[in-house]
Parts: sequence; C-alpha cells; structure tokens
Amino acid sequence: MSNQEKTKFEPKVLAFLCTWCTYAGADLAGVSRLQYPPNIRNIRVLCSATVSPHHILKAFAKGADGVMVGGCHIGDCHYLKGNWMTVKRMNFIQDLIDFVGLDSGRLHLDWISAAEGPKFAQVVTDFTKKVKDMGKAESTSAGLADA
Amino acid sequence: MREHVEKLLEEGKVDAVLGQRNLGGFPFPFIYTKENISDTAEDFVAGMRYPMPKIFLAMHRDNPDKTFGVVVRGCEERALNEMLKWNQIEADKVVKLGYACSQTQAEACECREPYPTEVLLGDKVDPVAKSERVAEVDELDLGARLDWWKSHFNRCMRCYACRDVCPVCFCKECSLEEPDLIPTEMLPPDMTFHLVRAVHMAGKCIDCGMCEEICSVHIPLRVLFKKVRDIVSETFDYTPGKVDGKSPFNMLGDAVEFSPRPL
Ligand code: SF4
Ligand code: SF4
Ligand code: SF4
Ligand code: FES
Repeated sequence: MSNQEKTKFEPKVLAFLCTWCTYAGADLAGVSRLQYPPNIRNIRVLCSATVSPHHILKAFAKGADGVMVGGCHIGDCHYLKGNWMTVKRMNFIQDLIDFVGLDSGRLHLDWISAAEGPKFAQVVTDFTKKVKDMGKAESTSAGLADA
Repeated sequence: MREHVEKLLEEGKVDAVLGQRNLGGFPFPFIYTKENISDTAEDFVAGMRYPMPKIFLAMHRDNPDKTFGVVVRGCEERALNEMLKWNQIEADKVVKLGYACSQTQAEACECREPYPTEVLLGDKVDPVAKSERVAEVDELDLGARLDWWKSHFNRCMRCYACRDVCPVCFCKECSLEEPDLIPTEMLPPDMTFHLVRAVHMAGKCIDCGMCEEICSVHIPLRVLFKKVRDIVSETFDYTPGKVDGKSPFNMLGDAVEFSPRPL
C-alpha cells in the first residue's frame, strides 16, 4: 500500500466485548461523549471466554483487519475464572497466526472494566491506529488468485 | 517381543494383538490371536507406518469388552496415552507392546522421543531435539511465511484424510465440516480449515506425522503441528503424550500466569 492509500484506508475492526465489563465500559465511553474511531464493530458476548478461536479465525477470514477481545480484569470475571482461559487462548492464537504469516498484531486482548470508559476509548483509538498503519489484512483464502 | 506376545495370548491376558505382518512381500496391519500365532514367523513389526492407534480405537469401540495388545512405536504409545486422557479408551483394555524406531526413521521424523517407555524390540536411538523444518519457516519474515503456507495450502482438496488418520482427532462431530465456519463451496478451503485443526491440536498433537504422510498433495502439515507443539510446550510447559498431566486448555490452573500482550 502506498502512503496515500494508507491515509485513505479505513480498517474494519471487530470487537468481542464482555457484557459485564468492556461492553459496559464502551457504554460509559458513549454516554461520557468520549471520541473514538467508528471503525470498530462491537459484538456483545457473555464472557470473554465465550470467544472461541473459531470466532477469531472466522473474523479474519471474513475480512476483518483487526480483532479485539475485551474482558473483565483478572479476579472480576463474572464466571470467576473464564478470563483465565481467554488469556491462554489468545496467547496461543497469536503465536499460531504469526507462524503462518498472519500478523498477531492484528489481534488484541485487553481487560477493560465497566468503569473504564476512558480506557476503552483509548484502547480502541490506539488499536485502530495501529491496524490502520499496518494496512489491509492479508486474505486468508488459500486460492491461487490470492496467493 | 515374540515370547511376550505368545505368553499374553496363552495366559488370556489379551484377546488379540494388533501388529503388522508381511503378506506377499508387503506389510499390513494384522491381528494376532491364539489361533493364528503359531503360523506366523514375523516379529509383529514390518516397518510400515500405519495409523495403528486409530485402528485400535475402532477395534476398541466395536469390542468394548475385549482387551487388546497393541504393538507401538514411541509416537503410537503417546497417542494411546492421549486417548486415555481424553477418555476415549479404557486403560485396562489395552496392553502396549513397545518397539524402538530406527535412527533413519527418527531423523526423518525429527522425533524427540523415537521409542516408547518400555522397549521390547530394537534399541533406543538418538532423539532429534530440534526441528529444522520448523526453524526454516521461523526464519522467514511474515510475508514470506504467508506465501509459503499458501503455496502449499492451495493444493488442499479437503479430503479430510489428515483428520481421519490423526489419533487425537476422535470427535464424532467435526468443526471442519461446519459450513458456517469453513464454507464448503470453496476449493481449496480457506486457511481457516488448517488453522482450526491447528487450534484443536493444541495440547493434543503427539507429533506422529501421520497427517503429513497421508496427505496426497504433500502439504507440510507436520511443520504446522510441530510448531503447535512447540508453542504449547514453551508457553505452557506441557507436552502431550505423557501419561500424567492435563492439557492447559482443559483446566484453568491454580493461578493466572499470563497477561494480555501490549498493544
Ligand atoms: S490430507 Fe491434505 S488434501 Fe486432504 S484435507 Fe488434509 S491437508 Fe487437505
Ligand atoms: S502429527 Fe498429525 S496425525 Fe499425528 S497427532 Fe499430530 S496432528 Fe494428529
Ligand atoms: S479437527 Fe477438531 S473437531 Fe475435527 S475431529 Fe479433529 S479435534 Fe475434532
Ligand atoms: S465475565 Fe467478563 S471476562 Fe468473564
């Protein structure tokens, strides 16, 4: 991508947000009228641990340029230890996708509580900027046309 | 090995023994019983790689009351251990009869443990600590890695042989056949196909290499799954295939040892 294309490029960022914390944090950011990029599409989930690697892989296959998972801080998960599993999975998937040449930088996990509206806005802003600078994500199609 | 097998059959400790046998100059999986054992001169090991644990699993599912002996290499023993851990087989229904692989085989496999815990036949040879094949991919930059993998994945015809032969792919319903996850109208399938299997192999793959060996279009699947194994052992200090221990993805643990990676 040329620099000019990069400036015009608007990444698609998909976010899986735990309803008990990060989703509420996003809500707070909204009612507090904090600005953050509109590139993000939020999907509300019951717990960050309900986000399967399948969802993440599917998001990239469908053309997401970045995928973010937001969960409760350790100790605050409403299912006690759900997010313990989330962080293990995310670490693993990041290493795995790096090995096949898809950039793990396009996948981000953060703990954002219901009270952290400003943190939500900040993380979304920073992540969107990072993904924008990375440019369009590589297609996961294995077809020759894309290879 | 022979005396051992004869004794097990004689004493009724096992109902049959699954091994290999040369038939017409070609090795086949073969079921040895009290009745046929005296007609067979071979050593139960014919040098060919067959999915022995998977054959045993089918035998076990069809005959849950019978006890079978299984002639196993190192990886095949590890496969049986994983099947046990994932409650696919009953511990008292299987007797492992181990033999060591040759140095040539160990090197071809880049095998870290080319022998089972108890060796009845052959001598233990040197393990290969590090996979050069994985290292070669690690050395590429991201873009080159993607190109390399796509240049292989694009041959996939979605025959599912890699899954069917895999000793730790024993699910009755398989995500790879879920059209919402991996659209069926596309060939070759999206990379997601291989990545989903890679995710499922985390904490399970025992590096037998059967997936790669059976793939008729020679996709270097073992490189992918060796890496999965490396990630799991480096990150979680866990190696599938041992009798004890549980997959880090199968239990929460006593403490959180990880944190999200910085942006
Ligand atoms: S065996 Fe090879 S061709 Fe068949 S599904 Fe697996 S990777 Fe694809
Ligand atoms: S090497 Fe392949 S066939 Fe063997 S356990 Fe791993 S994924 Fe399954
Ligand atoms: S690929 Fe996954 S779902 Fe399919 S049989 Fe293997 S472990 Fe089960
Ligand atoms: S409930 Fe929020 S991460 Fe589990």
